[in-house]
This record gives sequence, structure tokens and C-alpha cells, in this order.
Amino acid sequence: MTEAKEQPQTKVHAGRALEHGSEDAFAPMVDIYEAEDGTTFLLAELPGATAESLDIRVDKGVLTIRADGSPAELGKEYSRTYTGFVGGEYFRAFALSDEIDRERIEASLADGLLTLKLSKAAAAQTRKIEIK
Amino acid sequence: MTSLFRWPGGWDPFGTLRHVQREMDRLVGRSGLADARRVGGGSYPPVNVLNGPEDVIVQCEVPGVRREDLDLSITGETLVIRGVKHPPVAEDQKVRFHRQERGFGQFDRTIVLPDRVDPDAVEARLNAGILSVRLPKSEAAKPRQIAVK
Repeated sequence: MTEAKEQPQTKVHAGRALEHGSEDAFAPMVDIYEAEDGTTFLLAELPGATAESLDIRVDKGVLTIRADGSPAELGKEYSRTYTGFVGGEYFRAFALSDEIDRERIEASLADGLLTLKLSKAAAAQTRKIEIK
Repeated sequence: MTSLFRWPGGWDPFGTLRHVQREMDRLVGRSGLADARRVGGGSYPPVNVLNGPEDVIVQCEVPGVRREDLDLSITGETLVIRGVKHPPVAEDQKVRFHRQERGFGQFDRTIVLPDRVDPDAVEARLNAGILSVRLPKSEAAKPRQIAVK
């Protein structure tokens, strides 16, 4: 589901989130953490989003997440006694660091939670130097 | 032992809203939507309450929460939704967080329903992180047409 474009980009900032997009879209809440081996996990809350509406792209080093979490309409006979949340479009973009391998991003969506696994590029792995 | 639900850094995005709502409820003199817990985030998860002629529908936003982590119970006109949202990593795992916006922990919401419902006919569905509870109204609570002679 990930589209990686081969663009020779040099100026990419590590881990900075860019927030912009369509005016009516919600920015989903995320947790981003890095494991000891350098693999980065991004968890985004997209309640109500279907797998079909999910659109994840990497373009020029920018990871974009789009989804549609609009709920099914319940009909005019229902009056809203209390409204704590509304569904809608989700949009959020992140600038990826050079260390992340754009070709190897895994995505899974379960219970309205998107999990992205971003692996570190082989060249960016720390290598121990042997002293002979 | 899971702790009570809290947002990261002690920040509560619904704090001001909840305070305003409580003040308004006090002014009007009714107890509206009662928060079961006063300390540390009694307004998570967000809920919608919709009132129809045949049933009441309660929706709840609980992304990342599995069916076995939820506990629903109904007593009279009060629906209680309890559950736990697990943190993204176990405490013993060594990870470095770049961003932590999601909250986690135990949560519960007590919802006073707008009408009498039939507790045996309540149906709950969890789909894409949204819990939808359909509570059919008891016969006495359904609207009845009155013929004017």
C-alpha cells in the first residue's frame, strides 16, 4: 500500500511533523517511537476508517496518511442528545529522515488503529569496526 | 496493574470543556451526563448519544481497544462503559519516543440514558475502533400518537 518515489532529495529533517492539508480534515493522534535496532513505529488513531479509504504515500521524503472515517448516517429520526465526537477525513504528513528505508514500510490497520513499521536503511545501521 | 487513563504529560484536552459543562449543568440544576470518575480524565472516551423513536444509540470512539478490553453494563437507565487502553509498548521494553499523543490506561463513562430501555435487548458492536450500542426503548418510552377527537 505504500508508494515510494525515487527522488534525489537531500534536505529532509528527522522526525519533524508537517501539519497541513484540507481544511476539514482531522489530524489523527500519533505515537512515534524507535526501537533499539532503529526501527521506527508510528501508531495513528483513525477511528471509523476503512481499509479501502486508507491512503499512505511517501513522496519526496514526506509520509502522508489519508483516510476517511465518516460514520454511516443514522437518519433524521434520531436527535443528537449529546455529541462528543464527529467522524470525517483524516490527514497528517510527516517528514521522514534519510535513515528510513522508503521501500520497506509496512502498514496494518486494526480496530481503527494504524500501525506503520519503518525500517532503518541498511546504510544507516551502526556498524562496529573490527580492530585486527 | 493498569493505571487510570491519562493523557501524556498530564495534559487533558477536554479539561476546559468538561469544566464549562459541569458549571452549565450546575446552573441549570441537572446532572446530565455524569462522569463516574472525577480525577484524571473522566471524559474519555468521547461518546455520542442519539435518541430515536424506537431506540437510543450510544457511540464511543475507542481506537486500538479490543473487544476483550471492554466491559459494558446497564442498570435501569444508566449505561456504564468500562475498559482499558493498553500503552503502545510494554513497560520493560526500551524504546525512545519521538512523539506521544495517545493516552492510555483504564477508562469508564457513565451515561444516563434519555429514556427507558429494554436491558435484555441491548446490542453492542465494535467496528473499526467505534463502539456502537443500540438500546431499544421499552414500550412505555416509545412515542404514542394521540388522536384528537
